[in-house]
Amino acid sequence: MAGSKILLFWLFSLLYQQAIGQQDTSFVRIEQGDYSLGGKTHQLNPLRKVHIQTFCIAATELTNHQFKAFIEATHYITDAERLKNAMVFEPGLDEFKWLEDSTACWKYPNGKSRGGIEDKMNHPVTSISYSDARAYCTWAKVRLPSLDEWEAASRAGASTLYFWGNDVEKIGEYANIWHGRNHKVADASDGYLYTSPVGSFKPNAYGLYDMYGNVFEFCEGTLRTDPKDRKLAHARGGSWWCSKNACGFFNSLDIGRVSPHASFSNQGFRVVKR
Amino acid sequence: MKIQTVKCCRLSVLLLFLLLPFSLFAQEEGTWKPASPSSQAYHEYRLKNTIPPYGLVKIKALIAQIKDSEDDSRSSLNQKAYLALSLNEKFTYHMIHAESYSQNCDAVPPIIDEDKKIFGTLPDAFNESSWSERQANFLKSQKDAVVSLIKESVNRSKRVGLNYKTALVEMNATETIPFLIEQYNRDHKDFDILTVLMLLMKNNEYKPFMMSASFIKLYGAKSDAQSFINYNKANEELIISRAMAFYNGRK
Repeated sequence: MAGSKILLFWLFSLLYQQAIGQQDTSFVRIEQGDYSLGGKTHQLNPLRKVHIQTFCIAATELTNHQFKAFIEATHYITDAERLKNAMVFEPGLDEFKWLEDSTACWKYPNGKSRGGIEDKMNHPVTSISYSDARAYCTWAKVRLPSLDEWEAASRAGASTLYFWGNDVEKIGEYANIWHGRNHKVADASDGYLYTSPVGSFKPNAYGLYDMYGNVFEFCEGTLRTDPKDRKLAHARGGSWWCSKNACGFFNSLDIGRVSPHASFSNQGFRVVKR
Repeated sequence: MKIQTVKCCRLSVLLLFLLLPFSLFAQEEGTWKPASPSSQAYHEYRLKNTIPPYGLVKIKALIAQIKDSEDDSRSSLNQKAYLALSLNEKFTYHMIHAESYSQNCDAVPPIIDEDKKIFGTLPDAFNESSWSERQANFLKSQKDAVVSLIKESVNRSKRVGLNYKTALVEMNATETIPFLIEQYNRDHKDFDILTVLMLLMKNNEYKPFMMSASFIKLYGAKSDAQSFINYNKANEELIISRAMAFYNGRK
């Protein structure tokens, strides 16, 4: 009896999450001001005050639906389609290991054998590169957020590691992440093995959804450790793949780095109005 | 009136005195702390790869050709050129060039007091790149030859580069444990050699290590990719003695 009640509750939660996940991108205005960014001991993101001009950032990550409109209008070929070297994931891999899959691209984020996006049009677009994200932005007359803008938006006024404080245990309320101890066994304990529909989890105080988890979000900007001889892309906020025991980047502090042409199925973006 | 002013001044001084430590503390709380020069130097040291000499000029020219091509997004040598390389040349190619991508969050940022810590995992050897499937397969299928080339190179350069350490873990080269300890004992500087020893014990599920406090801290339920134990003589000796016991007990 108790078991069936739990099952019903779980089904109801899932349906509810999918219902609110139907919403599409709208923009949130972040007012100009001096924002406290970074961390006291973080060597790549030092604690500092930064003046940021007013900007309008999408409330959600960019969806497959929106990216499809771009492809249909421009016939743009993504890096994954051109290079046939997208990086995909399936449960069973060692930590930080991914598979190269020549069939993977935004239409088949983890390769053809793992399914397409037909019923995932309201999920964030993935298996795209930083170069692809910029191409979309040019077409849509929008831009990527700067590293500082992304952080100010994600913090929503908080100075803590997460926008709700420092308690990592609350992450499940706000973000689609990996809850398993490792990546050997599939984890869909929050309802999702890979991405979730945008806006499926609680927003931050600014009304921004999925600032942590779901997909890493590409930003513009450089770090002091970037090499002089080649361009790196930086993405923030963690992803559905990230777990407490692996990367743990689902916070307002950490900044990653990746090749500008790399297409992983946990990378996406949200846009800012020009 | 005069007395009142003096009292007021005394009160102000007292208040200032009482508040001073708190305001200083508040200032300390809000100040960014950079890693010490020795910590930063050790971070750089950890990331250094060893460059093998075998066919180096030829391999560098081939890699330059990949990078100089019109399409800067390609990073693999074509199959024909790859298969034409000798075993030693392939070794050099793998040790200086990774064909696939590393995930965004693989980056290991420098941290405070890095030079006083023994980490549970190694940093990325090739920045935003990692070995492709064919490269990983080569290392595993040619394990004996690769181990032999690594030993030869290390004996010459007196250093186990990050690329070599990564290869030893990838190949599960448990037979190199005494060699690694010998290298570590040269100067006791490269704590990542101790990390390799622990990774070999972990990956082979060596029970005495898996039940230890170090294992719980580095790889247990609350660990993450940046978990560490502090460097001290006792930890160093314990890792080495456990690794030797594991090595001697191998079947």
